[in-house]
Amino acid sequence: MRQGITSRSDKRWFPVSAISRFVALRNKGVAGLAIFVGTIIVLSISLMTVSAPWISPRDPSAINVGPVLASPSIDFPLGTDHLGRDMLSRVISGGSIMLQVALLSVPICLFVGVPIGLLAAYIGGTPEKVTSLVMDCVYAFPGLILAIAIAAVLGPGVFNMTLAIVVVYIPSYYRVVRSQVLSIKELTYVDAARAIGASGPSIVFRYILPSVLPSVIAVSSVNFADAILTAAGLTFIGLGLPVSTPDWGWDLTNGRQLLPSGAWWVMAFPGIMIVLLALGFTLVGEGLNELLNPKLEVQVS
Amino acid sequence: MGSGSYIATRILMTIPTIVLLLTFIFFFVRVLPGDPVLLHFEKQARPEVIESLRHQLGFDRPILDQYLDYMLGVIRGDLGKSMEDFSPVSEQVLSAFPATLELSIFSMIIAVIVGVLLGVVASRSYNSSADHFLRFFGVAVYATPIFFIGMLLQLLFGIGLHLFPTGGRMYPGMEPCGLSFGGTTIRTGLYTIDSILEGNPVKFILALEYLFLPSVTLGLYLSGIFLRLTRSNMLDTLFAEFTIAAKARGLKAKTVMYSYALRNALLPIFTMMGLEFAALLGGAVLTETTFSWPGLGRYLVQRIAFRDYTAIQGAVVYFALVVSLTSLVVDVAYSYLDPRIRV
Amino acid sequence: MQTTRASKGISNTTKIIIALVVVILILGSYFGYQMLTHPIDTIVMGTTDSVQSSLDPSDAYDFFGWEIIQATGCGLVDIRPGSQAGPNDFVPALATSWSSSPDGLTWTFTLRRGVKFSDGTGFTSYAVKYSIQRGIEIANPDGPFLGIGYGDIINSIETPDDYTVVFHLNFPFAPFLSLMACPASYVVNPNYAPMQYFRINYTEGNARASSPMDLGPYILTKWTRVAGKDVEMRLDANPDHWNATGGYPKTKHIIIKFYSDATALRMAIDAGEIDVAFRQITATDVKDLQKKTNVKVWQGVGAFIQYLVFQEKIKPFDDPRVRQAIAAAVNRTAITSTVFLGLAQPLYSMVPNGMAGHQDAFKQLGDANYDFVRRTLRDVGYDENHKLVVDLWYESSGHYASSPDIAAVLKSSLEASGVITVNLHGADWPTYRSNMRAESMAVYILGWYPDYVDPDNYVYPFLHSSGGSWLHDNYASQAMDQLVEESRSETDAVMRNQLYAQIQTKLAADAPLVPLFQSSAWAVTRPVVEGVVLDITQNWRHWLLYKTGG
Repeated sequence: MRQGITSRSDKRWFPVSAISRFVALRNKGVAGLAIFVGTIIVLSISLMTVSAPWISPRDPSAINVGPVLASPSIDFPLGTDHLGRDMLSRVISGGSIMLQVALLSVPICLFVGVPIGLLAAYIGGTPEKVTSLVMDCVYAFPGLILAIAIAAVLGPGVFNMTLAIVVVYIPSYYRVVRSQVLSIKELTYVDAARAIGASGPSIVFRYILPSVLPSVIAVSSVNFADAILTAAGLTFIGLGLPVSTPDWGWDLTNGRQLLPSGAWWVMAFPGIMIVLLALGFTLVGEGLNELLNPKLEVQVS
Repeated sequence: MGSGSYIATRILMTIPTIVLLLTFIFFFVRVLPGDPVLLHFEKQARPEVIESLRHQLGFDRPILDQYLDYMLGVIRGDLGKSMEDFSPVSEQVLSAFPATLELSIFSMIIAVIVGVLLGVVASRSYNSSADHFLRFFGVAVYATPIFFIGMLLQLLFGIGLHLFPTGGRMYPGMEPCGLSFGGTTIRTGLYTIDSILEGNPVKFILALEYLFLPSVTLGLYLSGIFLRLTRSNMLDTLFAEFTIAAKARGLKAKTVMYSYALRNALLPIFTMMGLEFAALLGGAVLTETTFSWPGLGRYLVQRIAFRDYTAIQGAVVYFALVVSLTSLVVDVAYSYLDPRIRV
Repeated sequence: MQTTRASKGISNTTKIIIALVVVILILGSYFGYQMLTHPIDTIVMGTTDSVQSSLDPSDAYDFFGWEIIQATGCGLVDIRPGSQAGPNDFVPALATSWSSSPDGLTWTFTLRRGVKFSDGTGFTSYAVKYSIQRGIEIANPDGPFLGIGYGDIINSIETPDDYTVVFHLNFPFAPFLSLMACPASYVVNPNYAPMQYFRINYTEGNARASSPMDLGPYILTKWTRVAGKDVEMRLDANPDHWNATGGYPKTKHIIIKFYSDATALRMAIDAGEIDVAFRQITATDVKDLQKKTNVKVWQGVGAFIQYLVFQEKIKPFDDPRVRQAIAAAVNRTAITSTVFLGLAQPLYSMVPNGMAGHQDAFKQLGDANYDFVRRTLRDVGYDENHKLVVDLWYESSGHYASSPDIAAVLKSSLEASGVITVNLHGADWPTYRSNMRAESMAVYILGWYPDYVDPDNYVYPFLHSSGGSWLHDNYASQAMDQLVEESRSETDAVMRNQLYAQIQTKLAADAPLVPLFQSSAWAVTRPVVEGVVLDITQNWRHWLLYKTGG
């Protein structure tokens, strides 16, 4: 009988063993494949965006580097837009705003939503009821509309978009954490921990938190995907950023005006990148979900 | 706890939810920097005029008074006056909402039909490539920006094939007037229903045509969720013991599938419809902008460009009310339908 | 665990029913949609404009508001369609003849007889005096009467008899006839514009109460707004119009549909859903539509200009050398060819190309004249290591077409000099206006449509210290003020041109503003539409449109 990879004690250097376990994921059924593919996508895009200043063939903001609205060709593999800017360079550099918003909002949500959920669920009583009420309110409300209202009032900018997304998403973390804690709270091993004299906070952190983490991670990846789509949506409405920064969302919105004239490349490539990035995170999230919570798949949606 | 007290509790729970949302919206809009009155009316050089405008809009009173006024106003149905032309925001919101409602209803219908059908197909061919493809489709469609889908449909069906109109809600001059008799008119604001009331089949077909592309766009976007839900519920039920027992008793597989599995899967779908209604409204904003659909979402976006804070507040409040009421209705209905729920 | 494969598919009958329903729906919609032909006596117009405030001439100061006022109202005189709007191009409308005193201080109009308002009241000189006086007295701060300065120009109005009106002016205002031809001067129906109402507003379900206009080729019969946004307007031919006997308007019914953005409008005209699309179709779409045979593209003279304004309260823009340097660094051709694809022309003066008195005053400073820029800025202390920082503001909510693109091109041209750094700032229109009044924007882009077709309307509101006060740019020059005042009052055409030459030379020397470009006007229609006239007046004459087929 072949031994599963996890059961073999691995004495190799940690990163190497981690990588080989990661690569082996693709053999672990559809879920594993999803995580594998999703992570590859996300990492490649992030790598591309970070190294944009070096690998981008031209300055993405420079106008008239080529003929206006040229279709894809050897010189300009992804064509040019209506101001003669190179689309390839813009696609390479355009993920920066979205990644920034996503990478800013998720940690903030984590560091705010998870502790609140842990505390409220553990303490229980009135504080928990009140917090749950507030969180349910925000959770039930259409996320995009709340984000639009917040961004509209605060104005454009990476930080304001992040804030809008954070406010909308914290309740999701809260709910997941709280429901997990409530179900674990009374389990035997927690009682056992209390019996051996572990204090409240240490119970929470050493025993409860690790069980909560898998669901939280699943929510995080959906959070990433949603942050990207919300950023795109806000830009579409006009609540995005000033024009100078290359941004997929901006090109997508702009490209919409050019589409009826047949210039499909301005909208298509940034659009595909947004879909890819969101898809990457979603695949990771879905895969993790299925792997870690095969029964709870339906609830965390 | 009987269903009566459950409903009562549920209704009572809605009130603090709404109050909380309204409070949040009220204070949030007032957190903004700068003086909104000056922003719009500074050209009135004379200070008395600015003060009188401030008074007309109610911005000169202490904040708690304004808050009280605002909350009482919402109960009365008064959402304040637009900062652009002082017309009542509630009138504007109410005239814009039926369009969004109609779009939401049809989108939800399409989302459920497409999602459930594909979910059934996927669950039937569990773990095959068709199953994987459909699941991927459900995920991919949610990861695609709505306006991207909308644009593609507009190009393909509107300009390319000339099958459907690319924007707007109705052919100019053909708005249904509903049913008039003896001086009163019954108009719901939903063009499909109004044209039926009026007895005009051409208007009905036209209304559907204009509805088609926007509903398909928004519906496709949400279908992935229903696909996933149906599939997993079907799988759960199919593998559940009573199904195996039924098959052991000799029932045909098809009967098993449709009378047991599907029916059990449908109840959570109904709840999901209620839950997803919020997401639907959010998606409606983007869809309405793409298709120039004159609904509440588009209204919100336009008011934002004009910095009409009262109107923005009014629209968001209305969304909050609609969502709360919908989820209340769904929960209550669900409690009737599912005897297991009596929490 | 065994899974029984379910038998193939839904029952056959269900499948057939579903298929039938789908086929019926698709066929029905296809035919229903196609069957809707456009009757020949109705023209459907689409636009992204909307009424900014109202259709009250004492208040309306936007392009579309004036467009509807012109369709539903009438003035004393009109300008011959397709003309250059020169002194001989005025044609009678509600006035059949006119004259001015030699000193230019008195204007006498003889009115047309037998004209009736739509409610049966006769049109007399009383209505003319009432309309103008009302505008002056209401003095709407956002309206044209204050904006143009009617009260400063007109001293008093006399009505010696029912068909004569006499205007006494405070100074010999040279373009007075042009002023009388502009929609702000149109005659209202006094019964529908009581003096005590600040403004005649949109009234739900009542088109008559929503506008005080009358006597025009059309009557506004329907105006629908949903949620504060215009949705539809309907104009029907006015049988009482003075020129009805001449066959005007040529098309009995006009329906106006409002679109939320240029792309939606383009798709509508491309799909043939509307007959006419006017404002705004993007330049890219125009170029593309010119290649298609299902639409016709009309192009004409434009009078819309865009320009940079310097806030002289913010250093170093109080130094004319810095302003001149920026003026020289601008590359107008880049804007007109990249953003507008040739549908705009470079503009070297505030007076537009084609107007009498125009001179290419800024041409000597050149475009992308980087040697000059570097030399001049070096004199003031800026070079490659210490660049001049320009905070360039543009309007970002669509009030002007293509603003972000123009800003991007400007940034690129200015920075190509090597000694300037540009920071772009976008703001939506209300914030933009507010910033203007707060004088917080260092350099900002604005646009201008003419109120009346005369160089005065491109000079007085910009270079005169009181006429240009709305700009808030803190430019004030006594010498310029004097020149402008003289040019407004000079009745001799040759002398006037000389004055304008002097004004434009001084404009380029002081450079408080930098004219950028002048946009053409264009419209897209279905091939069966005729009668589109795009001339320097920018008037969209609904009453000239007609179709040669369905």
